[in-house]
Amino acid sequence: MKITVEPFHHEFECEDGETLLKAALRQGLFIRYGCKHGGCGTCKSRLLDGDIDEPPSTFCLSPAEREDDWFLPCVSTPTDDCTIDIGSMGISQEEFLAGDQSREYETRIEINEPLTKDIRRLRLRIVDEDEMKFTAGQFANIQVPGTQHWRPYSMANSPEEKNFLEFIVKIFPEGRFSKLLEDRLNTGDRLQVHGPYGELRIRLSHRNIIMVAGGSGLAPLLSMLNRLAEKGNERPVQFFFGARTNDDLYYIKEIEAVVQTMPVLEFIPVLSDSWPGDWRGETGLVTEALARHRESYRNCDAYLCGPPPMIDAATSLLLERGVRPRNVYFDAFYPATSD
Amino acid sequence: MTANLVEVHEKAKDYDWDFSFTEKKPKFDTKYNIPTKGKDPFRMLVRDYMKMEAEKDDRTHGFIDGALRMGIAEKMEPRFNECLKLTLLDLGNAEYVAVAACGGIISSVQNQELRQGYHAQMLDEIRHTQLEMALRNYYVKNVPDPAGWDLGQKALFQHPGGLVAIGEFQHFNTGDPIDCIIDLNIVIETAYTNILLVAAPQSAVLNGDHALATTFLSIQSDEARHMANGYGSLISVLRNEENVPLVNDALERHFWHAHKGLDALVGWQSEYGSVNRAWAYRDQWQEWIVDDFVGGYLEGLGEFGVEVPRFLGKAVEDLDWMTHTVGQVFSAIWPLNFWRSDAMNEKDYEWFEKNYPGWHNHYGAYWDGYKQLADPAGGHIILQELESLPPICQVCQLPCALPRLDINEFRLVEVNGSQYPTCSEGCEWVLRKWPKAYTRRKQFWHKYHGWDLADVISDLGYIRPDGKTLIGQPTVSPDQKMWTIDDIRALKYEVKDPLHGVCL
Repeated sequence: MKITVEPFHHEFECEDGETLLKAALRQGLFIRYGCKHGGCGTCKSRLLDGDIDEPPSTFCLSPAEREDDWFLPCVSTPTDDCTIDIGSMGISQEEFLAGDQSREYETRIEINEPLTKDIRRLRLRIVDEDEMKFTAGQFANIQVPGTQHWRPYSMANSPEEKNFLEFIVKIFPEGRFSKLLEDRLNTGDRLQVHGPYGELRIRLSHRNIIMVAGGSGLAPLLSMLNRLAEKGNERPVQFFFGARTNDDLYYIKEIEAVVQTMPVLEFIPVLSDSWPGDWRGETGLVTEALARHRESYRNCDAYLCGPPPMIDAATSLLLERGVRPRNVYFDAFYPATSD
Repeated sequence: MTANLVEVHEKAKDYDWDFSFTEKKPKFDTKYNIPTKGKDPFRMLVRDYMKMEAEKDDRTHGFIDGALRMGIAEKMEPRFNECLKLTLLDLGNAEYVAVAACGGIISSVQNQELRQGYHAQMLDEIRHTQLEMALRNYYVKNVPDPAGWDLGQKALFQHPGGLVAIGEFQHFNTGDPIDCIIDLNIVIETAYTNILLVAAPQSAVLNGDHALATTFLSIQSDEARHMANGYGSLISVLRNEENVPLVNDALERHFWHAHKGLDALVGWQSEYGSVNRAWAYRDQWQEWIVDDFVGGYLEGLGEFGVEVPRFLGKAVEDLDWMTHTVGQVFSAIWPLNFWRSDAMNEKDYEWFEKNYPGWHNHYGAYWDGYKQLADPAGGHIILQELESLPPICQVCQLPCALPRLDINEFRLVEVNGSQYPTCSEGCEWVLRKWPKAYTRRKQFWHKYHGWDLADVISDLGYIRPDGKTLIGQPTVSPDQKMWTIDDIRALKYEVKDPLHGVCL
């Protein structure tokens, strides 16, 4: 099948049964992508002409987007010659033709320790000579040792910290990688990492910044906060961090350190299930705290990371209270299926 | 068989050469260090250019021919066409100055590829002036009330609204050629391109003016080339780190000035020149200037050291009230206008309140009063209600009443022992940093200080062919009796320069 890519008027061939993303990458072209399984929405593109086979449901496309012919090249195979538009990815023709710049890195585990009862800190040192140049907010895929499976995690450290990658990993009882991390992987063990990926990043504007994190969703936002502090950010930032109990909150000292270097940052921890008698933060769901905090979020950019229901609720609330739809940015990762 | 584009483009460059008998000096000096290598991403050849542009011209002129037969000029909203008498004149001036700008840039840049790009742009700008003149010709011959359309360049240099455009667009071809590129190609043709040439046609269609929409969309189709010229030039200049602070200063200056000049004129046309509005001007700004230009274009240049203009937040804040205050001021001086200044009605009130909550509290009473004074039999105009006329900003040429009369930011600035009025912190910064570019400008109110308003109007020549009826009127309603010069003379209104004796 012949695939035409707009806005570059570029054509490439796609084999029977091959996904559009795989065919493009095979032929040295670059289309933004992340999870490769329809879970992150990074490769979202528009079908202008032709037909494709695509999974009946993916959380990354709203019914309205599907209606408007948006699709995910990483899980879609063409059944006819197609014309697709990747203009919304914001890549130049040079970047498109230069091919995939993300690559595989060999790393060693520096730190693998629990942060809470179901969240772990994983710090990796890149063994290769080259550092991974990423933008605060991006993620990488970590290979599950001994398998061909990869799991996406956002970097939690600042990109300025050369040759190190730090991740916050939620432990699922049946999680293929997370259980391995908890039970078997030790300091010094090797891990293959592929990246960087993703479009979540701090956007330049005049607006105040609202950040909302739930559980392990702290990672990309912490990286972004560190980067903002390093750059001497002066835009006011309100950071809501939700957890169930005080024991589920982590990295509090690190966040408070960012507050010290970036005084425009207001940190608002939120506990939903129980809280100590002397608790000074907010209580209830993180979205409830968000609702109580301000009547209007007009002239704000919002960055969200956490469980999909939290993202849905926070997005609705923020739009209702004046954030422009285009200015809500989020990563909503879904736990990978058993493969 | 036609030769390959890249080969022909490369061959065309071989016809350029370095002089052996004399030093090759740019015609206009620049403070920037410009590398001799750059890139014209379009690789435009005359053979292809002519074919493409001729097709575009044919389509536009063809539409106007059809519009004549269908009587479209009579069906558009009069309010829209009245405001266009000022704003199309202003845009036409921008195109003329842009032609000259390209000439200046071509004579100054020692870089074959960029020169080639600007040659194509120069032809584009000439095409745009011709299209806009053809449109003005169409209006003057076909709209029901053409009075004012015939004044042309004269009004541009007389009227305060024309002087706003003169002040803004002079930066296309005066000063450093790279600064000119930053204003013309980067700020106006990249940051503001959609506001000028996408939102305006949308607004035109909603108000029945398909001729303007067709013309502007044809112009817009050339803009990608101009953006590419600007980007190519900027990247070329940014290769030298010494240029980075100069680029940031120029960007700051022109971004702010464009905010004042363009947002005042285009925002006013979009909201006070429309009966039917697609979306609020401040929302267009958030979409295209903040998210696309700052969040996309400037972000990409961040790695070279390009910074976000520090007045960005202030510009956004201004836009809550700016177009409304401009609407207020332009309507308050309606006898001095060369267009009819329509009154806002209940439907307008509703739209403004919905899109700008709080509008009614600040502007509702003004428009109620404005309408009550529409009849010449009342013998009173709203200008007589003002305590004083607003001073005019020495930099942007807008009234020092912005963003809103009660929270205006007027300040006098002393430069070399003389006082100058400015409207904002941004304009004060510009005046202090580049005083020579602004201090010689004369004030409209200063020229007419002590004159009777009727004599001012006569001097401007804003009177209809019957010799007594004013071109400017406080409404577009055909049922309203029109004001004459005798009605104005009976008011005994004397123009008083608000800064008489303070500024020279």
